[in-house]
Amino acid sequence: MNEKAYYGEFGGQYVAETLMKTLEELDAAYEEAIHDPKFLEEYNYYLKEYVGRETPLYLAERLSEKYGTKIYLKREDLNHTGAHKINNVIGQILLAKRMGKTKVIAETGAGQHGVATATGAALFGMECTVYMGSEDIERQKLNVFRMELLGAKVVPVVSGSNTLKDATNEAIRTWAKTAEDTFYIIGSAVGPYPYPKMVKEFQSCISREAKRQFYEKEGRLPDVVMACVGGGSNSIGTFADFIDEPGVELIGVEAAGEGIETGRHASAMAEGQAGVLHGMRSYLLQDEDGNVQLAHSISAGLDYPGVGPEHAYLKKTGRAQYVSITDSEAMDALAELCKLEGIIPAIESAHALAYAFKKAQTMTPEQSIVLCLSGRGDKDVNTIVDYFAGKGYLN
Amino acid sequence: MNRIEEKMQELTARGEKALITYVTAGLPDLTRTGELIRAQEAAGIDVIELGIPFSDPIADGPVIQNASFQSIQNGTTLRKVFVLMEELRAGGCEVPIVFMMYYNTILHYGVQAFADKCAAAGVDGLIVPDLPLEEQGELQEALAGREETILLQLVSPVSGERIPKILGQARGYVYCVSAMGVTGQGGNFHKNIKNYLESVRAQSKIPVMMGFGIRTAADIEPLRESIDGAIVGSYFIQLLEKNDFRPETAAEYVRGFKADMAAWK
Repeated sequence: MNEKAYYGEFGGQYVAETLMKTLEELDAAYEEAIHDPKFLEEYNYYLKEYVGRETPLYLAERLSEKYGTKIYLKREDLNHTGAHKINNVIGQILLAKRMGKTKVIAETGAGQHGVATATGAALFGMECTVYMGSEDIERQKLNVFRMELLGAKVVPVVSGSNTLKDATNEAIRTWAKTAEDTFYIIGSAVGPYPYPKMVKEFQSCISREAKRQFYEKEGRLPDVVMACVGGGSNSIGTFADFIDEPGVELIGVEAAGEGIETGRHASAMAEGQAGVLHGMRSYLLQDEDGNVQLAHSISAGLDYPGVGPEHAYLKKTGRAQYVSITDSEAMDALAELCKLEGIIPAIESAHALAYAFKKAQTMTPEQSIVLCLSGRGDKDVNTIVDYFAGKGYLN
Repeated sequence: MNRIEEKMQELTARGEKALITYVTAGLPDLTRTGELIRAQEAAGIDVIELGIPFSDPIADGPVIQNASFQSIQNGTTLRKVFVLMEELRAGGCEVPIVFMMYYNTILHYGVQAFADKCAAAGVDGLIVPDLPLEEQGELQEALAGREETILLQLVSPVSGERIPKILGQARGYVYCVSAMGVTGQGGNFHKNIKNYLESVRAQSKIPVMMGFGIRTAADIEPLRESIDGAIVGSYFIQLLEKNDFRPETAAEYVRGFKADMAAWK
């Protein structure tokens, strides 16, 4: 067992022998880069000049007033391409360039990570192929067009359930074939080591900024830090610099879909069953025979049957708490943020908001919540329209 | 002695190359799987790899992905395959059988319970493509101390300096993956295939089998000096699919392949 690949009993490298050497090389290249001031300087340059960081930590006054505690929103929705995903893409693509790779591949569900990767590839002149389940291609046509406009090739995946999980399988298969000249940009804090570590590092700018910004405003640490959890990239980035601050309560919000009890949900933590998927050992939705179960959520970005291994560890050790929010609770919270603050959030982020409203009611007006508003809702407008028109929804 | 190791000794003594086939269990149903196994045994197959279907087979190409998917749709489960194994062994089937499966299926069953069940049901070996050497501790521990079931090792064209470490643990035969990527890329072997196979063979105390992308004995004839046998999966499944999974088709294929290899001498 490779100890450094594990967070307690979670993580590891559950991949074919063919990829072990690639992962070893990747880890070495990453460690070298992340300790090279030049690499960090370049990464921070693009975060500032291209992505538009730092993002504001905004005190949502009307929400705070209504729910009785201070609610600060970390505005990742204001990043270029509309979500936190780009932070990680810039980091990984600079690493790819440094390793001499000329091609990048990525998996995508709703298309957000695909769009971010296509964007990064355009910026750095790399050939980009995005694997996307044929079902998802059908329901996310606009993002497919965006990726193509940015010069990426979108490959439909017809295998298994034809969604994100299968697109990820296909990206891993392709990578095993082509690792020599191809870098696989994983979009979430999942996958075999060192991916969860890398994605956390490249998303930790969220908490680094938020911690400092909160100090500047309040002169102390926040009481609660929370974020939504699909694979767990925005949440691990939001938690990162607060994990060693025991006074800060960390809360991850998963998607309960139509309700945990219906079985139609995306809450890997709720079932508490560990498994192996996509190269990692973590909590995993599975049926009674150990086949991976399909996740369900109105939010495509949370519609994933697993969760990043460090989150599994934070849950197991009790350092973070994981809760879940249903489709309808999330949509109500989304509508409320629109009306009270003039911000249309991504449906993913609305899950965190919905739980913040519940949590706030147990807190005092002097206390504070820092919540990662991971993305904006432009991409979700069709889903939102259909939902409120009572037509059901695409996912 | 383990049944696979016994077979390997026998083949080495006779100077004979091995043929190993792969079928996904439960295609088209488990009864036929049993018949296919018995027909191949009668035709002189050396080892049979039985695929336990999994929802997310990341090391497999389209043919085995599809086979796996169909089999799950047909209701195949690990428990049912164990029942088939028990029936086969009770009925006198003696051919070495290897389960090829993904680690989640084992974890879900319970690692120790799985190891115990394999030994009891007559499963002679395991190939777990998403369980590289570094992650094998838990399963090896569960298998330890008995001869019935062994974990087989895979090496790839880029394993390089990992090879001695991997071979250090290896029993039965070593599975040499012929190409980068996944199963079933018909005949497209790695550009340094010969050097790679010879390097593995030079370092290995156990027989070296080549798998991934093999269709016929002709595909591997140029490499016959470098290997001890061949593993055929995707092509074999396609052949069976085209022939309604007739046991006679399987038997004919096995006889033909073995005869072709014997004719090399």
